[in-house]
Amino acid sequence: MADTTHSASHGNSHGVAHGDAPHGHIGLRTYTFTFIGLLGLMFLTVGAWWVEKNVLAIPEWLGVTIAMAIASAKTFLIVYYFMHLKISSRLVQIFASLAFVFLAILFIIVMGDYFARGWPPQQGPLP
Amino acid sequence: MATTTPTQAHGQGKDVHGHGGHDHDHAHVPGLQHHFNTPEQQKEAATLGMWAFLITELMLFGGIFMAYIVYRWGFPVHFVDAATHLNTPLATLNTVVLLVSSLTVALSVHAAENGKMRRVLLLFGATIMLGFGFLGIKGYEYAEKFAHCNGYSTPIAWATGTGQHAVDECLVPGRAFLYPESHGATHGGEPAPAAPTTAGAPTPYQLFFLLYFMATGLHAIHMVIGITVMSVIGWMTWRGKFSPAYFNPIEIGGLYWHLIDIVWVFLFPLFYLI
Repeated sequence: MADTTHSASHGNSHGVAHGDAPHGHIGLRTYTFTFIGLLGLMFLTVGAWWVEKNVLAIPEWLGVTIAMAIASAKTFLIVYYFMHLKISSRLVQIFASLAFVFLAILFIIVMGDYFARGWPPQQGPLP
Repeated sequence: MATTTPTQAHGQGKDVHGHGGHDHDHAHVPGLQHHFNTPEQQKEAATLGMWAFLITELMLFGGIFMAYIVYRWGFPVHFVDAATHLNTPLATLNTVVLLVSSLTVALSVHAAENGKMRRVLLLFGATIMLGFGFLGIKGYEYAEKFAHCNGYSTPIAWATGTGQHAVDECLVPGRAFLYPESHGATHGGEPAPAAPTTAGAPTPYQLFFLLYFMATGLHAIHMVIGITVMSVIGWMTWRGKFSPAYFNPIEIGGLYWHLIDIVWVFLFPLFYLI
């Protein structure tokens, strides 16, 4: 019990200094598998595009969703393993997540405004 | 200091030019600045500061992605048709080049952790080469577009001045912009809208290529900065500035390189695979 209060009072930096974070280690195997995963996802997204163009016409929204899902998975692999978020302190993890929160705020507010005014323009006047 | 005579072999091997005039005060942890208490604290501060910077970088690219979302939502059919004029095979090759470079950067940080500084230098060299490779391929893609505007089929024909013909397409935004006749590419059963016949007509096609050049151009500028950063940190490594106890520049320089990779991960499907 005393231990918990001790580490809580010293905040995160203390936990980092004595926790496993600075000594956390990502091995060569993990890097290799991450890289293979990234290559695989890249061929998957190109393959999905090729199929969409030449074999099976799927709705555009579905194609975009698949491509963005694969891109997000690749981003996760890069951020989590290559950029060491896995072994970073909680504060750095929060900072990294904030980047995507800020982007979401930008996209949602701007698109909300566009939709409220009538977008796409073919479907109505844009004042 | 008396122990550090020039004749003494220093063991690091790199410092052959005699620039090693630093006090090798082994009582300190190497690289630890006086305003930090521990190396862990210093590394945490460096990493956090880098991430704060990376957030601003993402917001910079976010503006371009924002414009892309707005106009793709407005003109989906134009965008799908326009994207068929980009060189997807070369872009796929570029994606592989960038992913490999991300691996070499990650491995160089791993090597620095283990004190293998020679390997760090080799991997940095590979990263810089791959960076130049990416820029070369990107430059060829740009040159293709500019060659078409001057009436040549390929950049090589343009450079040698052979086989000039009438300009039938120009995909560089501006007064000369001329979108070619649709080559029958339909998407979702919808035929592409008729191409404008006047050069420089302000159409959604031109908007697509404006966004393409802006986004990939800004990304290429970041590659140039990344190569510069890697060269400087490589130079510092060669000078023997880093050790397993202190290699923060290698770590946060790597973060910057990975960010460039992430931006491309989104640019690639949004422009080439639609």
